Amino acid sequence: MKGVLVKDLYIAGSNILVTIVSLIVLGFGLSFLLETSALLVLAPVAATTAAFISITSDAASKWNKNVITMPVSRSRIIGEKFLFYILLAILGLLAALVPCVVLACFDKDITPYSLCLYGSIGISACLLAGGISLPCAYLFDPEKSQIVFMLSFMASTGIITGLVFLINLIFSVKEHILPAFNIVLIISVIWFFISYRIAVKVYQKRDIT
Amino acid sequence: MANAFRVSGLTKTYQDFVLDHVSFTVPSGSIVGLIGENGAGKSTTINAALGLIRKEDGIVSILDREELDGDVKEQIGVVFDGSNYPEILSPRKLNRVMKNIYRTWDEQVYLRLLKQFSLPVDKQIRQFSKGMKMKLAISVAFSHHSRLLILDEATSGMDPVVRDDILDMLLDFVQDEGHSILVSSHITSDLEKIADYIVFIHEGKVVFEKPKDELTERYGIIKCGAAQFDALDKSDIISYRKMDCEWQILVSDRERMQKKYPKALVVPATIDEIMLLYVKGEK
Repeated sequence: MKGVLVKDLYIAGSNILVTIVSLIVLGFGLSFLLETSALLVLAPVAATTAAFISITSDAASKWNKNVITMPVSRSRIIGEKFLFYILLAILGLLAALVPCVVLACFDKDITPYSLCLYGSIGISACLLAGGISLPCAYLFDPEKSQIVFMLSFMASTGIITGLVFLINLIFSVKEHILPAFNIVLIISVIWFFISYRIAVKVYQKRDIT
Repeated sequence: MANAFRVSGLTKTYQDFVLDHVSFTVPSGSIVGLIGENGAGKSTTINAALGLIRKEDGIVSILDREELDGDVKEQIGVVFDGSNYPEILSPRKLNRVMKNIYRTWDEQVYLRLLKQFSLPVDKQIRQFSKGMKMKLAISVAFSHHSRLLILDEATSGMDPVVRDDILDMLLDFVQDEGHSILVSSHITSDLEKIADYIVFIHEGKVVFEKPKDELTERYGIIKCGAAQFDALDKSDIISYRKMDCEWQILVSDRERMQKKYPKALVVPATIDEIMLLYVKGEK
């Protein structure tokens, strides 16, 4: 699996670098206008676009056909892509944390509470979107999966809103915002894992030509 | 002699094509050429054997193992038509990728082959010509101590000089009796040069699997007129084709035919001609 991950890091390397630098610059820039920690909502989602650059590159070069003849199982190929996606999300989150931590040192209004809340929302949106778009990348051709990729982010915000409404039926979200979004995060993690299992099952049966 | 590769009854059905119970072997230490026209089923056979597509029926045994697990794949080098490596990578970066995929990856061999093929180490693959991409793919296949090479139309798109170099490399490779090669190609002249056995696939079925020498040394074509054709014993004919001013008749033993029909012109048949007469001829 390590070799496939190295390949993806090479493919998405420059994109990852640009995203990280942009997030850090944006974080400092936004600090004059709004709460910098809000960047944590956007950061994981922005960083994971690199995963789709690697998926598109794989399709264009027919790498998927080649790698199956190598000592890498189909489940590991899928597992690597999901892992790569998570790593990118974490990297995005860490990049956005840099300006937050620096600004917090200068007494800016950044609290652990807001970091946890926005981080939780960002990771949830990212995992929900990935859970939709990653399996589709192995089901559809690159053009269709690009569309699904874009739609998945919209879908994830819709799902989060829906989940918040549902949680609100159990307890008041306004009074317990962080626990509510932590529940959303847990559901997103479960959804991402189920999506991974589905992707593995689909890919095991798929003809690669 | 043990078989490095064996398919038996391999079947795969598509809407407009059926790979119909394909069976053949690649004995250890030999080169087997898989021939057939475009769409005959060569790539489908290879893809099904390598687990790229799901077979409906049949047995595939590679290096005496029916399960194509990581250990078996470690010992197979596969080259498809086209490089199939991410074009943004350079050969040096590809080396780092492969080092983490193959346990048996030999960096020294890889770098030596890149040098031998005059491939730039730090240039992106997207800037390579088709021939250079194929050379790179072949370098990768040779760099992890493979015991079996599977080449699917790997020499197409190369100039004759490079093709000749690669054919020499393949011949060198099978000097070790534990090494074997399955090579599918429609450039039959290449196979005439290196193959020990020829497997001919037509419309998803194996038409024949024979030693190459039997084909080139025993098979022949009788070239004759209509009267002479009518006089031939039809059981001697494998297939025939009426050309503009002559009949061409494929026979399996040209020396016997020459003795039986002393007035007939019996010439040796190339693999190309044998394939053409099987595909386009009548029986």
